Amino acid sequence: MSRRLTHTLGSLGQEILLVVVILALFAFVGVYNPRFLSENNLTSIFVGNAYIAVAAIGMSLVIISGNIDVSIGALIGVLAVISGLLVTNGYPIWVAWLAPLVVGAAINAVVGCLIAYARVPSIIATLAMLSILSGGLITFTGGQWISGLPAGYQLAQFRLLNVPSPVWFMIGMTILAGFLMRYTTFGRSVYAVGSNPEAARASGISYKATVVKVFAIHGAIGGVAAVLFATQLQVIQSTTPVGLELVIITASVVGGVSILGGVGTVFGSTLAAILFAAIGSSLIFLNVSAYWLRAVQGILILATVLADMARRRRTG
Amino acid sequence: MKKLITALLGASLLSTPVFAQSAWTGGDDQPTNPLACTGESPAPEPGEYNGGTPTNAPDRNGKDLTVVDIPKLVGVGYFASTASGMQEAAKELGNITINTDGPTRANIDEQITFVDNYITSGVDGILFAANDPVAIAPVLEKALEAGINVVGYDADAEADARQWFVNQALPNGVAKSMMDQLASEIGEDGSFAIVTSTFTTPNQARWISEMQAYTEKCYPNLKFLETVEAQEDNILSFNQAQTLINKYGDELNGILGMTSVATPAAAEAVQQNSLCGKVSVVGLALPNAMKPYINSDCIQSTILWNTVDLGYAAAQVMRQVADGTLKPGATTVTAGRLGELQIVNQSQVLLGQPKVFTKADINDFDF
Repeated sequence: MSRRLTHTLGSLGQEILLVVVILALFAFVGVYNPRFLSENNLTSIFVGNAYIAVAAIGMSLVIISGNIDVSIGALIGVLAVISGLLVTNGYPIWVAWLAPLVVGAAINAVVGCLIAYARVPSIIATLAMLSILSGGLITFTGGQWISGLPAGYQLAQFRLLNVPSPVWFMIGMTILAGFLMRYTTFGRSVYAVGSNPEAARASGISYKATVVKVFAIHGAIGGVAAVLFATQLQVIQSTTPVGLELVIITASVVGGVSILGGVGTVFGSTLAAILFAAIGSSLIFLNVSAYWLRAVQGILILATVLADMARRRRTG
Repeated sequence: MKKLITALLGASLLSTPVFAQSAWTGGDDQPTNPLACTGESPAPEPGEYNGGTPTNAPDRNGKDLTVVDIPKLVGVGYFASTASGMQEAAKELGNITINTDGPTRANIDEQITFVDNYITSGVDGILFAANDPVAIAPVLEKALEAGINVVGYDADAEADARQWFVNQALPNGVAKSMMDQLASEIGEDGSFAIVTSTFTTPNQARWISEMQAYTEKCYPNLKFLETVEAQEDNILSFNQAQTLINKYGDELNGILGMTSVATPAAAEAVQQNSLCGKVSVVGLALPNAMKPYINSDCIQSTILWNTVDLGYAAAQVMRQVADGTLKPGATTVTAGRLGELQIVNQSQVLLGQPKVFTKADINDFDF
């Protein structure tokens, strides 16, 4: 019993640590400037990185399966533009909301096939996809923003029980993915494929099918992130934020997903995304240059990966 | 007791860095040249002409001109409006034909090919907005060597690769427009914060320094709170503006957007917080991105140059260069309905003050 308890705590280690760090940060900055803890600011923090948290769910699945995806930022940019073009060209709003999910799943299923069947390493396949998507986006849009979005399209501005919809998406999808990963055969097979592909194959798990599914799901989740990204403001930027994929990967890694595959949960990446938003907001409240945000993120990655290595050395 | 006082003094010194008093965050340390608070500023010395000269250009004085306009790219609202200004000038002048042609994406290699083709086909003049100041220079020099008049607008090439460049705005002009508009909206003793791209982006840093100099001279009671960085990222700009609103509450009267990304995002944050009319947003942005906020009366204005006037002035300058009436050493040039324009920076024609777009006219522009 006690061994089981320590095992559970051990596997939850990073998540609990993140909760403690987030609460400590809230307490510290809240004492310095109580307005930091105002309802408005807490809402901003949770909404601020919600689309990154959502995208990090899919990224966590990809990394747990032993792969990586560096094209997600460009994919979100492309899917957001597709959504915006559909709605400004007269298609129903629900089509503009759903199309990014379908297109995202389709594009990433192709990437998954390249990795699983053609045996292209995921870093190469997604790097190529990054160039194709970001180059295609600039060529196609010429850098023009999409404006004139119709009323009712701004999904990310809806509120339920006075909580903005991105927060609901972030919480709902994290719980859903957490359940999927923990209690379904598919979820267990993702862990199996990521920790030891040979053993997974020997126990009858299809490596290829699992990787393609993981990428397709990741693409669909990226579609949700793209819709949240596209519907937060009244214009859609037709270029992707620089380094978005790195922030998403960082959220997964700092959330406790091992870059070597096979280990981690989606709860950690969501908490890490919230932590980044909280740090960004804290820096303004503490009058510290925003340059530190990147430095802090870098330190968090190093600390997490070193801790992960140490843990592996101890257990393995 | 003595120790305590020393400790307190030391602490107060540490907590108020001296440099924070002397400079707004996000500016550069270059010298500034603020314009006059009201009325005309004395014209700056243009300095010695450093543009190029066409080789053996035929006498084109008063003759019909065939001119090609090669913008960064075609098919976008921005350059469609500069082209319409050129057509307006062409119609007014009657003896110049301008054809706009260029790459469909902002690609320097394709733009060079276009320039090259028009040199071969033979034109009297080339108007351009360069995708890259250095890369376009050799082909423009080739045009000058072929006796073609070359005038730039919007985005310059190296000075000796063209004759004149029509500059849409100087940093001290941008600064004056921004601060005058802000003071008119929030009063001369309001408090404001800035959302910029990064502290090291050259244009933005220049504008912020000029804004500081102009504010110290003309609006000493305006209170600068802080500058936050938001890169060129829509959502980050929104979040940063949102955090400023959360941090300062009622103390914040205005937000200055230094980029065309930051300004609409700040407007969105103001609108989503139902602070329309309470917090002003003043900044540089494309009219199309600001229409939703200006048409709903949440935001009063957006600042940019008048792109139609920019094209109009470029065509007028081309005519006078070909006629030989605009020569090296000139200090002003008369550009049709725009009147006298100043010569600045050795071989540039200054369009004038940036334009403040309001609900009254913003819907006349599509870019």
